[in-house]
Amino acid sequence: MCKRKISRRTFLGEASCAAIGSTAFLSSFLNLGMINTLAARPHIISNTNDYKAMVCILLAGGADTYNVLVPTESSEYDDYVATRGSLALDKNATNPAQLIDLDYDDNGRTFAVHAGMTKVRDMFDNNNLSFISNIGTLIEPIANKADYQSGTKKIPLGLYSHSDQIMQWQTSVPQSRSAVGVGGRMADILQDMNTIPQVSMNISLAGKNRFQTGKEYNEYSISNNTTSANIGYDGLPSWWSNSGFLNDIKNGVINNAVEQEYNNIFERTMSSLTEQTAGSIEVFQKAFGNIVPLATEFSDTNLSKDLKKIAETISVKSYLGANRQIFFVTIGGWDHHDNVILNQNAMLPVVSNALSEFNDALTEIGMQNDVVTFTISDFARTLTTNGNGSDHAWGGNQMIMGGPVNGGQIFGNYPSLALDGNDLNLSGRGRILPTTSVDEFYAELALWFGVSPNDLDYILPNLCNFYSSSNCTVPPAGDYSPIGMFS
Amino acid sequence: MNKIMNIVFLISSCLLLVLQSYGQVDTIVIGFGGYDGVSITSSDDSQFDPENTLNQDGFLPNLNAAARFLSQATIGYNQAEIETVTNMGIEDWLENQLNTPMPYTLLTKSKEYHQYVKDQTGNPEYGSNARMWDYSWWQYHMTTDDYVRQRVAMALSEIVVISDKSNFGNNPYALSDFYDILLQNAFGNYRDILEEVTYHASMGVYLTHMNNYKSNIETNQFPDENYAREIMQLFTIGLNLLNDDGTVIVDSLGLPVPTYDNSDIIEFSKIFTGLTWADRDKYGKGALKDTSYIPQMAMWNEHHEPGEKYLLNDFVVPDRNPVDGNADITDALDNLFNHQNVGPFICKLLIQRMVTSNPPPSYVERVVQKFNDNGEGVRGDMKAVVKAILLDPIAKSCDSGEDYTFGKLREPFVRYFQINKAFNASTTSGNYRNDMDYIYKYVEQKPLTSPSVFNFYQYDYQPIGPVEEADLFAPEFQITNAQTITGWINSLYRFVINENIADEYDLFNGEDNALYEDEISQLDLSTEIMYTTDDKLHILVDRLNLILAQGRLSDMTVNTIIEALKKFDQSDEDDFELRAKLAIYLVMTTPEYLINR
Repeated sequence: MCKRKISRRTFLGEASCAAIGSTAFLSSFLNLGMINTLAARPHIISNTNDYKAMVCILLAGGADTYNVLVPTESSEYDDYVATRGSLALDKNATNPAQLIDLDYDDNGRTFAVHAGMTKVRDMFDNNNLSFISNIGTLIEPIANKADYQSGTKKIPLGLYSHSDQIMQWQTSVPQSRSAVGVGGRMADILQDMNTIPQVSMNISLAGKNRFQTGKEYNEYSISNNTTSANIGYDGLPSWWSNSGFLNDIKNGVINNAVEQEYNNIFERTMSSLTEQTAGSIEVFQKAFGNIVPLATEFSDTNLSKDLKKIAETISVKSYLGANRQIFFVTIGGWDHHDNVILNQNAMLPVVSNALSEFNDALTEIGMQNDVVTFTISDFARTLTTNGNGSDHAWGGNQMIMGGPVNGGQIFGNYPSLALDGNDLNLSGRGRILPTTSVDEFYAELALWFGVSPNDLDYILPNLCNFYSSSNCTVPPAGDYSPIGMFS
Repeated sequence: MNKIMNIVFLISSCLLLVLQSYGQVDTIVIGFGGYDGVSITSSDDSQFDPENTLNQDGFLPNLNAAARFLSQATIGYNQAEIETVTNMGIEDWLENQLNTPMPYTLLTKSKEYHQYVKDQTGNPEYGSNARMWDYSWWQYHMTTDDYVRQRVAMALSEIVVISDKSNFGNNPYALSDFYDILLQNAFGNYRDILEEVTYHASMGVYLTHMNNYKSNIETNQFPDENYAREIMQLFTIGLNLLNDDGTVIVDSLGLPVPTYDNSDIIEFSKIFTGLTWADRDKYGKGALKDTSYIPQMAMWNEHHEPGEKYLLNDFVVPDRNPVDGNADITDALDNLFNHQNVGPFICKLLIQRMVTSNPPPSYVERVVQKFNDNGEGVRGDMKAVVKAILLDPIAKSCDSGEDYTFGKLREPFVRYFQINKAFNASTTSGNYRNDMDYIYKYVEQKPLTSPSVFNFYQYDYQPIGPVEEADLFAPEFQITNAQTITGWINSLYRFVINENIADEYDLFNGEDNALYEDEISQLDLSTEIMYTTDDKLHILVDRLNLILAQGRLSDMTVNTIIEALKKFDQSDEDDFELRAKLAIYLVMTTPEYLINR
């Protein structure tokens, strides 16, 4: 019978597969829902010899990104200072600086980044990095506060709660609580571009996450200290006689146990997860054994180590049979209800340096034009202070980096930060309604990544709300590019 | 070879365990299959309800049923405890547990460790460290016999969460004293738990209502919303209105009805203002010393938000004059505690931790009824709740485990703890050290180490595959990935095969190892080793199947393990020991063990 790990693409293509006879197997496919529409369509998959990867960095906890990217034109800066009060960074401070100017002027609108982000500033100025401003989770466009309060617009579930908004940034389906995320759905569509079926397109440095969970495919988790020597099961002690033979027996028992058919849904889940894990171990062992040490030096932080491991993994992509890869990294600790200034002073340099090091490493291995790296975060935070911290809000500023990206830009619309007379401000606390949707952002990424416009509605079920008010079965126009992040 | 026929009359349908010293066993089971289609009458119903013959009330459980009960009611147990339960009966054993006092506090233990370090170093100023908390937790759990209290406290620690991944991560007092709340109130009242955690400095620091200021409109400054939000979302009522059976109430469009909105959070944020360190004479300062975390936070009314606060269910906190922050907090905690959602929200979480990830609504409702009223008009009585959870037919009847949606992934830390208990980890002094460092590295779980207030896993996590397709939950799978799957298997290698069952380290720089040689744990596999020759392996695997897996390993799995073990040498004592270790290793890697049903 067909192994369960057969992909949907392949499965549909080979209707003669004996597994068709198994009702249990078949019904699990019928439950997938999307299967028929997906099967009916041609999946335009680009030349399989090209390689593309995306790297998603989750700033978990909700980073206060209105102190990451700050307006410096005088009237906008005055609003910023008036609203943020004790949280405002001083653009005139010099010793030390609190803000550093970007090489950017959009009809007089100018911006600076937090002074801890010199490398980000450098990459921005060198056109390696851009910002997307006031982006957030939306089901459909909401024009302003009146629109928001009208009761006619769909509002994301659990707005301002960590668990919901961190999920929605990963699923892009804010009307429901769902297990499946954007990267996972891309893998559902594109996994067959890779040549080793059991190795997941999605590789996580942060364990299980919704972003990389597909209907069919799980992430494969590694850690930044994973090597060919320590991946997989520890062997029996070498001083046991016949340890090689006995290891085979031991591993055989483990494999035997996971290949059994179980009735209980948890036993089935456990065995299939273990099976997927076991199936990838040897491939990764070999791949990681071929890593050539990078000359680029990385800082001694977890984020830098994670990104280093990703660069190394990309460098041995051919051993993983990978033409498409999605990586996921988390750096936590951004829930700054307290001490936002001090904490960001310590944490933003970590992000800035890690991004720059990663960019250097990709350049070193000649992959800088094939990899796009971006940040996401639960939400931005209230513009007003709670003393020395800020609370949960909505739209915020994110970064996107890499050769394919139009660099040195501030995409979207940086909002007014005034509390009063600001029709994007939803509350006296300063919570800003997003003007660019996560859907629009992921749609451009997906198209760059090689997803067919026909498949965008599978990856982003709400997307049509942002380009068509009426007909959701029609894919967006071929040049769909609402943000304009790619050339 | 002897061929023995056993005829067993089974009242329960628990998987059968037949201990047999040798030979193959044939078993004929009469009465297998539970209630369906069976009726029983009694000639004398003056004393006994004949139904009890079927539902087992008042009957002594068999070994598997006792083990299964212990796997729900404790975080670790051994063969002797299984036999105790079979002799006492589940009800009496539980009643005894509910009346077992807490012998000492973790705080006391942490202080002892700190004093020991001061004495040994001759330095009365020597600082405390995180190991004092780890060792206190471990010493308590390895040596005290309040097993159900331990189980409930650990479940609570995953509901009202603080974590050492915070400013007080190295402070044993902050962690021990908080955990004591959970141990002390495990059989107390949930309202007291709410009160004590709200005022605890560790929670004040963790969810930042410590030094929370009232509003200052001039400077656009408003109260911190953090605790206001999380006490509602995570500690009391959750996001959506629930029926008493735990199902979500939906509106006319079929959508869940939120329990609160952001304006409610703003109102509650005003409540949790004005609290600071008890030992400070100024507001807005940091901790003076490690022990500053022990006393409850003190209310400074001049920093408490004045005025009315509009809480849930149209309750209005009055404009108190003079301002009385503590009275406001009392009102707010009462308002939350009396909300209809607390019972279903909290009880369901407790059932998930102890029994099954997807309790049927009828089960939730029976427990919630006890939460809402323990029978004596008291709401929130944890003793009544714990009893209702563990003695419910769904929990107790082994039949429920046959339902393909029943059960849960055993928490990885609980699996580790169970190894220590099942194989009677002992030290020569009776004192145990373990900072649980390796198990955490391997599986990402140990007490009070979750990455955020959202615990190691969320109650509604859905792994893809059959669980998601059935729209059910499997929280523990949120920390089950390629790293932790191989990590668990490799941890067994370290703990069992390599005999490094616990992580014992110096309590202070330069501590002489000789000072704690007698605190190093060893597993006792002497009983297992007795059954490691080819002709007795089935006894060994049956024994492990009982103690570890409550009899859930299939015949096929048992035979696979036996056949594998037979391929290993059996010529001397070393071989016997290695076979015993490998048997444990193999049993504990099977899905049938990993899922507790």
